[in-house]
Amino acid sequence: MRRLRVGLASWAHVHAAGLARTLASLPQVEFTGSFDETGAAHDGPSHASLDALLGASEAIVIASTNAAHRRDTEAAARAGVHVLCEKPLATTIADALAMIDACRAAGVQLGVALPVRSSPAVIALKEAIDRGTLGRIRAVRGTNPGQYPGRWFGDPIEAGGGAAMDHTVHLADALRWLLDDEFVRVHAELGSFLYGLPVEDCGLLTLDLSGGAFASIDCGWSRPATFPTWGGVTMHVVGERGTVDIDVFRQSLTHYDDAAGVTRLIGWGDDLNALMVGGFVDAILAGRPVPISGEDGLRSLEVVVAAYRSAELGRPVSISEVA
Amino acid sequence: MPLRIGVIGTGFAGSTHARAAVRLPGAELRAIAAATIAEAEPLATELGVRVAPDVPSLCASEDVDLVVVASPTYLHAEHVIAAARAGKQVFCEKPIARTLDDARAMVRACEDAGVRLAIGHVVRFFPEYRRAKELLDAGTLGQAAVATLTRGTLSVGATRAWYLDAAKSGGVVLDLMLHDLDVLRWWFGEPARVYGKRVADRGGLEYALASVRYDDRPIVQLEASWAEHAGFRTTFELRGDRGMLVHDSRAVAPFVVQSPSGAAGAAVIPAPTLRETPYRRQLRDLVERLARGEPPLVDGREGLRSLGLGLAVIESADRNDVVPWTVPA
Repeated sequence: MRRLRVGLASWAHVHAAGLARTLASLPQVEFTGSFDETGAAHDGPSHASLDALLGASEAIVIASTNAAHRRDTEAAARAGVHVLCEKPLATTIADALAMIDACRAAGVQLGVALPVRSSPAVIALKEAIDRGTLGRIRAVRGTNPGQYPGRWFGDPIEAGGGAAMDHTVHLADALRWLLDDEFVRVHAELGSFLYGLPVEDCGLLTLDLSGGAFASIDCGWSRPATFPTWGGVTMHVVGERGTVDIDVFRQSLTHYDDAAGVTRLIGWGDDLNALMVGGFVDAILAGRPVPISGEDGLRSLEVVVAAYRSAELGRPVSISEVA
Repeated sequence: MPLRIGVIGTGFAGSTHARAAVRLPGAELRAIAAATIAEAEPLATELGVRVAPDVPSLCASEDVDLVVVASPTYLHAEHVIAAARAGKQVFCEKPIARTLDDARAMVRACEDAGVRLAIGHVVRFFPEYRRAKELLDAGTLGQAAVATLTRGTLSVGATRAWYLDAAKSGGVVLDLMLHDLDVLRWWFGEPARVYGKRVADRGGLEYALASVRYDDRPIVQLEASWAEHAGFRTTFELRGDRGMLVHDSRAVAPFVVQSPSGAAGAAVIPAPTLRETPYRRQLRDLVERLARGEPPLVDGREGLRSLGLGLAVIESADRNDVVPWTVPA
């Protein structure tokens, strides 16, 4: 079996360690190691520069800060290396468009790391919707709340925003895919209430889709430090012939740990990162389009940009006003 | 002398209040009226009280001090005003009315007659919502940052067609979301603005979301659904800067029955298994307040304000725009 040579660019993102483990474990991947701009050492080969990593790789997973995605993607495109970029694709629509153009011009593929579409529960929902089992879908109440990730995630420059920038795109992307539709209008209420950050840590988006359905996304870093897990992804889906509740990370054991003095949930469901990265790699190896493209990443970023505009103006904002 | 009670309406609300009134300390259930004598008879027979042939005669009854109005929403104004003009104290099921004009006329009629008007926002008597209020007021949760409240049931329309006529009932927003809008006003005070979305298929699906913003904080989401086909469910999450409370009515049943024929009675709203139901607490609280000469916990003006907030959600959904909240006079 041919394996794809894949490296990890940057350890800035909280997902980096999990992505490195995933790359090291996937049978269809030859992990080429990583580049860490801080110089820290990690498992697997460490490269002294991004160019060195790119020279050893056919594809890279980019886990740098949100604001650095464009720089790293353009470097990969110049080197003829495919890109799987952490979400959100970029912090501005201009950056996202430049990344899409650079990859297209270089003949490499650009994918976005959005694991929710890989969830078996979400895939089952997609199949039920496509079969018509639920009738026409009229509304979805989605939640993707989490604990505050720390690091640079509360930095308006490096992250490009706060909780809305961090969490909105997972469900925005999943909803576009599930409903086979596009968002047309966004309303948002945002606030910085919990951690004294210069960016929002609480947010509620209300969205219209072109086909008439509406949806909401709770994107807050509203999970307390004592919450038994990092957060979660849920959808309450209202169709004309049925209602569905999805809880992507529900499959877990509850661990009452006296030694650590905490209660934690230990997930035992499928490894969504492995499914997501595996799907990207399989597409590159087969010469097919990657499952979640740069254009997909741009569409969900537009929702985030419109949300910030809505919160600023105090009214719903059309996607066409920001795209 | 006990407070003597007459009940108008024998639907879910009317029968619940009538049953709560039986053997209530300081009160006596005396009479029941409905749209027709035949509709009133089964409940009156069950509870051993007389049938009043119609609403005017119930209101005129010498042996009734408090009239409980649990007729369809669009008839509340007519029945409350009739009771007030007959000099009766009045308890009216929520929503106070279908329109603010009706609600204002009801408040005025009760004030002119010098009688009390109580509105049945019963969730203020549900212990899980009361405990949350206590923890909020004590500062245990810190300052409220975000809250989510949901309320769903299967469609009630098949048995009571007037519910499906939004002009008469106000649909799922005034039926279910109104409870949580009232809870918000009770917990947090008056919000700054609302943004609503709804599915309101005549005779079919009804579902609504609302994004409610306070000046500064909190941000609140409300969901109301008549598409909760597995039966009645309420949830809330309340996050303050010092902690979070989570409630799910599906996760708190201390008494669960299974039978070989399958679950029965999913359409019935289950009260928590408590020594005293929230409905009975609500009525007992009113009886005690009236005996002491005190105003009800939720009076007509309070019910009018919560109705106004429900109507603002509907207006927002219909206009696709944010509606600033100004407390109606």
